Amino acid sequence: MSVTLEAVRLTKTYGASRAVEDLSFAAEAGEVMGLLGPNGAGKTTTIRLLSTVLTPTSGEFSVAGQPWTAATEIRRRVGVLPESSGYPRSQTGREYLRYHARLYGRSGQSARALAADLLGQVGLADRADSAISSYSRGMRQRLGIARSLVNNPAVVFLDEPTLGLDPAGQAQMLNLVRDIARRGTTVVLSTHTLPEVEQACSRVVILDRGRVLVSGSVAEVIRAAVLERFAQLRVPPELVEPAVRALADVPGLTVTQAAERPDVLRIAFPGSATIHADRRDGPNGALMAVANAEVPVLSYEVEGAQLSDAFLKLTRESVG
Amino acid sequence: MTARVVPTEVDGSGDLGSMTGDPGWLVVAGQECRDLWRSGRGLALLFCLSVLLSAVTYLASTNSALNFLERREAVNLVLQFVVGVGVLLTLVVTADGISGERERETLESLLVTPVSRRAILAGKLIAGLTLWFAAYVVSIPYLWLLAREVGIFSRAMTLGLLVGTLVALGLGCVGLLISTVSNSNKISLAISLFLLVILFAPTQLPSGLPAGWFFDVIERLNPVSSGLAYITGQLVQAHPWSEDLSFLVSPVLTVVLAGGALVIAGPRLVRLTVGSN
Repeated sequence: MSVTLEAVRLTKTYGASRAVEDLSFAAEAGEVMGLLGPNGAGKTTTIRLLSTVLTPTSGEFSVAGQPWTAATEIRRRVGVLPESSGYPRSQTGREYLRYHARLYGRSGQSARALAADLLGQVGLADRADSAISSYSRGMRQRLGIARSLVNNPAVVFLDEPTLGLDPAGQAQMLNLVRDIARRGTTVVLSTHTLPEVEQACSRVVILDRGRVLVSGSVAEVIRAAVLERFAQLRVPPELVEPAVRALADVPGLTVTQAAERPDVLRIAFPGSATIHADRRDGPNGALMAVANAEVPVLSYEVEGAQLSDAFLKLTRESVG
Repeated sequence: MTARVVPTEVDGSGDLGSMTGDPGWLVVAGQECRDLWRSGRGLALLFCLSVLLSAVTYLASTNSALNFLERREAVNLVLQFVVGVGVLLTLVVTADGISGERERETLESLLVTPVSRRAILAGKLIAGLTLWFAAYVVSIPYLWLLAREVGIFSRAMTLGLLVGTLVALGLGCVGLLISTVSNSNKISLAISLFLLVILFAPTQLPSGLPAGWFFDVIERLNPVSSGLAYITGQLVQAHPWSEDLSFLVSPVLTVVLAGGALVIAGPRLVRLTVGSN
C-alpha cells in the first residue's frame, strides 16, 4: 500500500484564532479514514485545506504524490463532497454531472458517457433527466458522490455525507463509501455518526479544537482512550464467594455484585487491560482465575469498548 | 434502488484519458449561458426590454402629437436607451456571479475543480455580456425603422456595438468585483443598483441646465454618461469618428481598471466567504 495523503504539521489560522494546528497524519490507497471531532473541531477546515480551497498558514501536505503547492494538480486528483453542498436546482442530474466532467477537461461526448455511467453506479439512472430540485436529500447526496468521482480521483473527501439521511440512506451511503475504497481510492470520511466509522473506517483521526487528539486504527484509538471495560460473570449462587475470592487475586480488577442478581458478578477491568491469553489482568485472566478455583462458569460476557466511548472520553479530557 | 460503485482501478495520476475538452472558461461560460437563457431569466429580461423599446420607438417615430424629436435625435434616444438598459442587465447578471454561487452553496464544488478562479470569472463575465449582445440584436429592427430615412443606420449600429460593448464590459467587470466581495446577492445587487443610479443620474439632468466645468468633469468621469455623450456627438451632431474621442477615455479606463483588478485580485477574492482565505 502506498501513502496517497499525508499532512505534516498543517496549521490554519484566522487572525488570532487557530482553526487547525499542527495536524499530521497519513492515509494509504484504498483506505477509509474517519475524521472525527465535535462541532468546531476543524474537520471541514482540514478538508478544505487538503482540497486546496483554503491555503495553509504553515505546514505542508501532499495528495497522490503532488505537493500542496501544486494546487491545480491536486484538484485534478481529488473528489470532494462538501458539507454544505448546494445544487443548481434547475439542472438535471445528467446535466450536472456532464458539466462537472467537462470542468475536468473531458470532451462533451466523454462527459456524457461518464455521466450516464456514474448515475447508474449511484442508483440514479432512472432519475437522470429529472430536475435536481425534485431529488430527495439522499438522492442529492448520491449525486454529490457521483460528482466527486467524475475525475476518477485518488482521494475522495466526504464531509458529513450521511447528514439528514434516514437509516436506510445511511447504510446505502456507507456501502458506496466502501465501494469507492475498493477501487483503490482513499476516502476521508468526516462524520458525527460514530457507528458508521466503526463499520467503514480502517483508520481514525480524532480532532478537537483544531488539534489531533489521537489517530490510528479503531482498536488503537479505543486503547489510547484507556477505557475501563466490563464483563458479567454468572456462577452458581452457592459458589459466588469462592469466585469473588479467586477474582481478588487478579490485579486491577474491581468486582461488584448486582443487588437484584447475587449470582451475577460485574467485573471492571482497568483501561490498560487487553484481551490477550498471557495477560493476567484482562478478561482472560479473570476467567482463568475462576476456572482454576474450580468454580463452574454459567455465563461470561465481555462488553466491547466502543469508539463512541473513546471519542467522548478523549474529547471530554481535552476540554477538561 | 440499490447503489453500487463499480470498482475501477485508480491510478491517481489525474490523467483522465481523453483530455480533449474545452478550456475551463468556455465550459463555465457555456453552462452560465444555458442557466441564464434556458431558465427563462434572460428571455424575460429581453422581453421587457423589447416591450419598452417598442413603446419608445413608437412614440419617437409615429405619434405626430408626441413626435417632438428630430429623426437623428430619435435614433440617438433609442440607441441610448438600448445601451443603458443593456449595460444595466449586464451589471445585474454579473453582480450575481460569485455571490449567487456563495448563496446557493455551489461555489465550493466549483473551487475544487482544476478550473482556475480567473477562468471562472471569465466564464461568468462572458455569460453576462451575452445579455448585452442580445439587447443589441433586439434593437436592430427598431433602429433600422428610425435610422434608414436619415441614412445613419450603419453608423448607429457600429456606435452601439463599440460603445455599448465597451461600457458593458467595464460595468460587467465592476459587477463581478462587487459580487466577489459580497456574501449575499441582496448586498451585491443593492450595491450594483446604487452604482447604476449614480452613473445614470447625470444622463437624466435637464438639457437646459447651464453646463459648467464641474458637470463636464462628472460627465467625462462617468463611463456611462461619457459613452452616451460620444454617441450623441456622432449621431446628432454628425461629428467625425476622431472627434470627441476623449469621451471614450472613461469607458476604456473602466475596462482597464476593473478588468485589471479582476485579473490581478480576482483569484484572491473568489473565496468561499468574504474575508476567508
